[in-house]
Amino acid sequence: MALLLLLLLPALGAVLLPLLPEHQGLLRRVSLATVLLQFVIGLTQLGQGPSELHQVWLPRIGLSLDLGLDGLSAPLAVLIALIVLVTVLATPADQARPRLFLSLLLATDLGLTGAVLARNALLFLLAYELVLIPTTLLLAVWGGPRRAQAAIQYVMYGAVSGLTLLGGVLALGWLNGDGFSFAFSDLAAMQLPAGSSHWIFALLVLSFGLKLPVVPLHGWQPLAYGQASSPVAMLLSGGVSILGGYGLLRFAVGFLPEEWILWSPWIAGVGALTAAYGALNAIVQSDIRRLVAYGSLGHMGLLVVALAAATPLSLQGVVAQLLAHGLISALLFHLVGLIEAKTGSIQIPELAGLLNPYRGLPFTLGLFLLALMASAGIPGLAGFVPEFLMFEASWTPFPVPTLLCLIASGFTAVYAVRLFNRVGFGRLDNDRVDYPSTGWSERFPAILLAALVVVGGLWPGLLVGWSESTTTALALRREPFSALVAIAPSASPRQLPS
Amino acid sequence: MTPPTATAPETQRQPLIPPSTHRYAEVIHRLEAGGSMLPDTPENLMQIIGIYKAYAVPMDFYWRDLLYIAEQVFLDPLPAFKYFPTQEYLDRPNAYAGEQSKLRIWRGGEKAHPELLEFMAKGETTRMPKLLHHLWHDRINMEFAEACMEAMFWHQGMGGRFYDYLECDAYKANADKAIKAYFRGNPLMLGLYALFPEMFLEQVRKMSYYANLGLFWEVMAPVFFEMSDIYDEGGFKGVPDAMDFLVNGIFAVAGRPIYHHVFIGGECFEIIPKSEGFTWLYEAALPYVEAVFYRTAPFRGTKSYNAQAGQVPAVQADFHYGILYADVFPVGSAGIPPTLLMQDMLHFLPPYLTELYAKHKRGEGDILNQLGITFQRSMYNVTSAVIQALRCALLYPLDDTDPEHLMANRRFFEAQMDRFLRPEARLPQIQTQDYR
Repeated sequence: MALLLLLLLPALGAVLLPLLPEHQGLLRRVSLATVLLQFVIGLTQLGQGPSELHQVWLPRIGLSLDLGLDGLSAPLAVLIALIVLVTVLATPADQARPRLFLSLLLATDLGLTGAVLARNALLFLLAYELVLIPTTLLLAVWGGPRRAQAAIQYVMYGAVSGLTLLGGVLALGWLNGDGFSFAFSDLAAMQLPAGSSHWIFALLVLSFGLKLPVVPLHGWQPLAYGQASSPVAMLLSGGVSILGGYGLLRFAVGFLPEEWILWSPWIAGVGALTAAYGALNAIVQSDIRRLVAYGSLGHMGLLVVALAAATPLSLQGVVAQLLAHGLISALLFHLVGLIEAKTGSIQIPELAGLLNPYRGLPFTLGLFLLALMASAGIPGLAGFVPEFLMFEASWTPFPVPTLLCLIASGFTAVYAVRLFNRVGFGRLDNDRVDYPSTGWSERFPAILLAALVVVGGLWPGLLVGWSESTTTALALRREPFSALVAIAPSASPRQLPS
Repeated sequence: MTPPTATAPETQRQPLIPPSTHRYAEVIHRLEAGGSMLPDTPENLMQIIGIYKAYAVPMDFYWRDLLYIAEQVFLDPLPAFKYFPTQEYLDRPNAYAGEQSKLRIWRGGEKAHPELLEFMAKGETTRMPKLLHHLWHDRINMEFAEACMEAMFWHQGMGGRFYDYLECDAYKANADKAIKAYFRGNPLMLGLYALFPEMFLEQVRKMSYYANLGLFWEVMAPVFFEMSDIYDEGGFKGVPDAMDFLVNGIFAVAGRPIYHHVFIGGECFEIIPKSEGFTWLYEAALPYVEAVFYRTAPFRGTKSYNAQAGQVPAVQADFHYGILYADVFPVGSAGIPPTLLMQDMLHFLPPYLTELYAKHKRGEGDILNQLGITFQRSMYNVTSAVIQALRCALLYPLDDTDPEHLMANRRFFEAQMDRFLRPEARLPQIQTQDYR
């Protein structure tokens, strides 16, 4: 029942909202109530153990309503609900066309939740594609001046990602030696015909690499994040991008382990390249939102290296990174939105002195500093836990890519200091400064996210506790230091290459 | 830009000199017409008078404590209680205000202002011993007054003879007597004095500047109090009236002696005797305006600068960190002296200013910034008074009919305005009411 409610609530909300009168307060309350309920239901499912729901839908094409929650999907489902919740909270009170906007947010929520709950590859594909439509509209209608270009790029990349995923999923289902099935349970146990697994793997990696994204498949990301309105950027970075990481873990690592092991050095290389490219680009950006976007790209690179390592610890780090990155990037984009709303600019050369206690935005900049520190992996904050796990676990199989990621992670401090030196300190411009202060309703989403970032750092169990048994079961390599890690007795790595 | 207009109610007279082409021609024409650098608007008048009142109350403490330090604390090597003037100094009558004064010019002044005494007793918190108020920093911030004194002491070559006198033999002899008297029976300090006489002399010079500034502010405090009273009584009609009151005040006490007396064991040591003839206008007021309004020091927080990039001038005369150039937005950053003054004035704001600030910008949230900008406006008016006073003393009347004389006045005003050509000057900003 809980599984069904997790899907039904955003679906109902997305359908109901367009029928309501165009009243900002009412629409917001309905959206909040829907997502809050979804979030609470998700919370109740954490730590409950695996649960599944099987409902035949279109058996002739192999589509069934197979839903499930395990240590991987449960925390991500909660994260998605949380990100949508804060996105609704962060939606400006004077949001244009609120009915459509909130309805599309909930439709995105439906797609994201459906994707992480799906236990059928075709159902996953449907949910995955569903996400693309509302997010494209959210980007195209409410974005910045170059939103049309951003939306076109986004939808093009998304379409390629969807098509390649379609090809990969259909091939997985049809070439399954045991018969025609898209159920995850069947796919996990399938035996692919010799030779076909290479290109299926390539299709899946390409699809999820585009979504995550990784270099050189990231072309859509800086423009989309840069042009999206802040709530949409929060949703894209905190919610949508996790689909890429989740897909790689569930499909590529989960269903094609031999291919993953075979190609993992190359994947790790791409991850290291992504990390370095993202960090170096972030340093030279003059637009704060693009800086955050490139910083986010860099952290995705680290995640890919850890995925390539595929040890129990690294995969635990990957899930923790998906959670932490979702919180941190949503916080960053919300704060960037506040800066833009109050100052009218997010261009670094145009801003200065925002830490001024009276005329600046000290609260916003203070939390921004916290979020950047978390992003840099400062101990005590949520970013530290996954980074530590991933570095620790990736070092033995891939020392050079891990070292590159370590250096790239250090660059986070470089662009954070550079940003603060220019934007936070210095004198406010006499001619420009007439910034209104942030209100508590604007601060609340940031406070909520910041609190979770701090709690996640002080209580790592919040980030890693839920996924341990699932990620251990998915792991492909054993750690040389597995004694350091509390692996559930029932779980053991599937394949231990020599 | 409009040329200066001589009053010709019935027939339009041609201006005797052509209009100024200076960048601040409009301000210069206003000065030539007897006005202030600050535009004459009702709100400007309200702002400057209100802030004079808020400034006068802490100033009433500043001058008393400065004199207390100069005359009583003197060379105390551990002056932990220098901000605790004795009751004698709090009850000390003003030399130029009130019926008890030898030369009554202004009202009040019998002893410390009642609002000051009330604040000293209660602060922002509640009634408690002075030491607790001090430690809680719930007090008048003498650090600001000391920073002003240090600015005067540090910047030299600002005219007058005062600083040069501190190097002369007569001064050294007087200081020597006072030092030896102060440390009588203290072989350690006397031994140190024998080893490092210049160190002690320099401290005495500093004390002389304490006295100098204390005597300067003793005059200014009742001036500001009376301006506030006159405004409350409906007496001022515009900014020029307020400026004229200041000009008249400057001339009324221009000859007030500046001296430094020290009281040791009940005996008075005249380190700078009144007979030396140092006067208020030339040895205190003008150096104060130059050092504090124009120059001061680049306090981190009032001005952003990069010393490594050569943004701090090598020549002290080129310093431009005073209130006339101050960027008040960083106020509150680091307990810097101007911030402390804003905090002091905040306690004594008249209600009409509090209401004004509540209506603009962030209301109470940035009231320190708003009152800082008001203070900046008011100091442009004080500087205008000083400029007009200097013009009166050195040049020609504004209604002079000789074009040569008017051109001399013009050159003087233009030279004064040249100091505000640098981009940091806030003169252009105070011309509009939007600057808050």
